[in-house]
Order: sequence, then structure tokens, then C-alpha cells
Amino acid sequence: MTPKSPSRFMSGLAICATAAGVILIFDGTMHVLLAQTPFGGPRPTAEPQVGGIVGWLLARQSEFYREMSSAIRAAKSDGSAVWTLLAISFAYGIFHAAGPGHGKAVISSYLVANQETARRGIVLSFASALMQSLVAVVMVAICAWLLNASAKTMCGAEKAIEIVSYALIAAFGARLVWTKGGGFMRALQAPRPALAMASAGHGHGHDHHHHHDHDHGPDQHVHDEHCGHSHGPEPSELAGPSGWRRGFGAIFAVGIRPCSGAILVLVFALAQGLFWAGIAATFVMGLGTAITVATIAVVAVSAKDLARRLSAGTEGGGTLVMRGVEFGAAGLVLLFGVGLLFGYLAAERVTCL
Amino acid sequence: MNVARRLLGLVWLAGALALGTGTAQAHPHVWITATSELIYAPDGAITGVRHAWTFDDMFSTYTLQGIETKTKGVYSREELSSLAQTNVESLKEFKFFTFAKADGKKEKFEEPVDYFLEYKDAALTLHFTLPLKTPLKSKELALEVFDPEFFIDFKFADKDPVRLVGAPAACQMKFQRPNDGSANAQKLGEQTFLSGENSNFGMMFANKITVECP
Repeated sequence: MTPKSPSRFMSGLAICATAAGVILIFDGTMHVLLAQTPFGGPRPTAEPQVGGIVGWLLARQSEFYREMSSAIRAAKSDGSAVWTLLAISFAYGIFHAAGPGHGKAVISSYLVANQETARRGIVLSFASALMQSLVAVVMVAICAWLLNASAKTMCGAEKAIEIVSYALIAAFGARLVWTKGGGFMRALQAPRPALAMASAGHGHGHDHHHHHDHDHGPDQHVHDEHCGHSHGPEPSELAGPSGWRRGFGAIFAVGIRPCSGAILVLVFALAQGLFWAGIAATFVMGLGTAITVATIAVVAVSAKDLARRLSAGTEGGGTLVMRGVEFGAAGLVLLFGVGLLFGYLAAERVTCL
Repeated sequence: MNVARRLLGLVWLAGALALGTGTAQAHPHVWITATSELIYAPDGAITGVRHAWTFDDMFSTYTLQGIETKTKGVYSREELSSLAQTNVESLKEFKFFTFAKADGKKEKFEEPVDYFLEYKDAALTLHFTLPLKTPLKSKELALEVFDPEFFIDFKFADKDPVRLVGAPAACQMKFQRPNDGSANAQKLGEQTFLSGENSNFGMMFANKITVECP
């Protein structure tokens, strides 16, 4: 699969690919980080009115959002306006997910940290978007529709949910760091010649050094000739129930916090007597969001995957690099959680005025 | 080299996406159409700012959720009084989105007074007065109204956006709206970063009121 003695060129490429994967996550971190100055002064928000393509995209996003209220009003008298509403919501969802949301960054980091497949990245992205929509609908249904609670109460609920979500992300990140840290330390200590020898079929003692927290027995392993290389877990391991449970931990932590925009749209639709249209719009919005997040997740996973394959030939060094990347990604999830929880990072503001 | 080409493609894609996600920043969820009055004392000192902020359709409806009224769809000032109270209390966290500088020095505001909400044409308008901690007789007063996080988009009314109330006759007011996209693209050159005055360039997106009293 990989050349025995890879050229410097290949290891260079491996580093590049790794960097590409990390860029995505780093980018997510940066624009949440940059959202707040440490000086307490007004935050230098550069983006809102930039020109060119980005300015245009941003203006469109803003427009889609504003058109939603008129579409809901129109739907009161003209049923076909609902289709317009759904189309706008879908487009808005796609554009909106390209925004600052920490969810996208957390999911990508998790996928990179956990050696996940692109397929699972897509499933997780859709599941978390679905959950976000569901939470928004349930919240508005209970607070506004059933209890006729005030906006102040709803905003209080939003804030409480937000804290729970951030705490869960932090806890989830801490767990990832704990497990990934072990793998990284072992990769650091593993004598490289021994790892190389493993390819000859001997060093079974090292076989599991590069595996992490998959709850599987050793017999599930295929001890073939590339065991000593830093390959990823077999698909059967990934599909195991424990893996999915972990994945759901990620989507729960991220998806529990509803999007402020969805809540506004839902309450507005409810007030117009078209709650069902608001619900439909929310789910279509979630679908759009999922498509964007899934795209980003797939790119992050593919970049890491390629880095792994390319660095596989570097005689044990690749293992170290990959464990390091995973450890770093796990650390990022923890940082996101802690940063959001203590207000160092800013997410989209909840609608409280 | 097949792998290399694929890799380059991937790196490019990742970069493009990263750029896309990095630049497509937050967008507003709330729109406010504002008018402001600068209030002057008889001795010519400015004492405070009186804002009237009209919320957009969707946010007005959201805020009115759960408010009980005698007549459906009609909200009196009394029925909205507790909501107005909530509004000004929440706005405190954001420094009322109003930032004042007198002769280059930052000035502080007291808690708002005379606040109330008005419901007209399916939109809520929040009226409130922000008294300055100390009335000022500065040569130059700069007032900026904006949300640094851009969750709220402040747009001043087309007609009479800013008025001076009781100001000395010699005072001159200038009002500057946020730059539109095309102007920014050109202005965001190196000058923006080199010039000390513009180093905090979030301010560039503010509605800027300047009053000069010689």
C-alpha cells in the first residue's frame, strides 16, 4: 500500500494534508476566538459589511432571513407562499451553517480526533442538525404554545440550555483528551524500530498502541502485514455500538442548543397562526445546515485520512504524527467547551432583549 | 503524480472552505430603525441621549409573546411597561449599544430613565433616555450606535435621524452612516491598519454622530 522508504516529498505532503485538516478546525476556533477582544472594548467585527463575493453571500443570508417573515405573512392568505418560505429556509440554512457556529467546529474536531469515517461524519452532521431543529420546535411548542410564556422566560430557557450544551461539550472534550492523551503518550514512547518490525508479523505487543478507546477484544483484529503501520481501525470497529454511542454524545452536546433564528421564526409563525409552517421551515433550515456541516466534516475527515495514508510509510513517525493530530483535535473540543462555558468564546447570541 | 494531485485538490478545497467559513460571519437577527436626540441643558452642556428604537416585524412579535392585553392586538403603554423594564435591563449588558467620546475621552452613561414601549403598525418602539454621568461641555463629542457583534443591525431613520435639542446655536452636527460594502472594500487598505485612529476598525461599521461646539 505504501512505499517502504518514502521520499521526503511524501512526508512533506503528509504534513500538508494534516495541516489542511487542522486548518478547518483552527479556522473554527479562530473566528470564535476573534469574536471577542480581551480588552473588553467593542469587538472589531470586520466581516459584517465586507465587499466582493463574501459581502454578497452575507447580504444574501441576511436577506433570506428577512424574507422569512414576509413569506410567513403571505402564507396566511396564500397557501402557495409556504413553498417560497421553505425554499428561503433551505437556502438560509445552507448559508447560515457557513457562519460562526461552534457546532461545526466541534463535530469536525471530534471526527478528526476519533478516526471516524466520512460516512459517519455525514450521519452525525445530519443527526445534530435534526436534533437542533427538534429542540427549537419542542421548546417553542412548550413555552410559547402550551404555557404562553413570555419572551423573557424563553430567553431564560435558551440561556440554561446553552450552559448545559457548553458543559456537555467540555465534558465530552475532557473524555476525548483523556483517551487520546493515552494513545499519544504511547506513540511517543514506542520505540520506532520495534514498530517497524511489527510489519514482519512479530511485535504483537505493539499492535494496539495506536488504537485508542474502541471497546473491542484483541481477537477482532486482523493481524495482517500492515498491522505495524499506523492504519485506522477496521470498519467493523467503527460500526460497533460503543462507537455510535460516542458519536451520539457529540451530537447531543452540540445539537441541544437551538439556533436563535429558528426560535424567532417559530414564535413569529405561531403568532400568525401558522405554527406548522414555522415547524416545516425549521426542519428545512436544519436540512440546509446539515448539508453545509456534512461537507465541512467530510473534507476534514478526508484530509486527515490522506495524511494518515501518506504518513503511514514513515516508519512509526507517522503514528506519532497521527496520534498527535488526534490528541490536538481532542484538546480543541475541550477548549471549545471550556471557552464557551466561561465566555471566552462567543457563540451566536441568544435572543434576549 | 496522482496522489499529489489529489492531495493538492483537497488542500485547495479545505482552504476554500476554511476561507468561506471564516468570512461568512454572523449576520443580524434583529433590525432596529433608530432616531436619536442629543439633549442639552440651558447652560449649553450636553446631558444625555434620547433614543427611539423601532424593532422589526419578527422581533417585535417575538418580544410580545406571552404579553396579556385587554384587547387582542392592542398594547397600551402600561401593558408594555414590564417589558420595557426587561428591555432596558438587558440592554445594560451591551452598554446600550451607545458609545460616547468627548474630546477623545470615553464617557459613561447612567441607568436609563423615562423608558417606555409603544406599539404601532405591528412594530414595537422602545424609547429611553441615557443620561451622561457628568454633563459635558466638550468641544467635540462623538457618539456611536452599533452592535459590535452585529446581532442587531442598527439603521438610522431616513428622515431626521439625529436631532440636537437645546444645543447652543454654534454647535454643528454631522451624521455618518455605516459604510456600504463597496466603500469598505476600498477603505480596508493598509491605511486602516497603519493609522492609529482607525486601529479599532469595528467602529467603521458604526453609525457615527459628531457634534462640534467651538
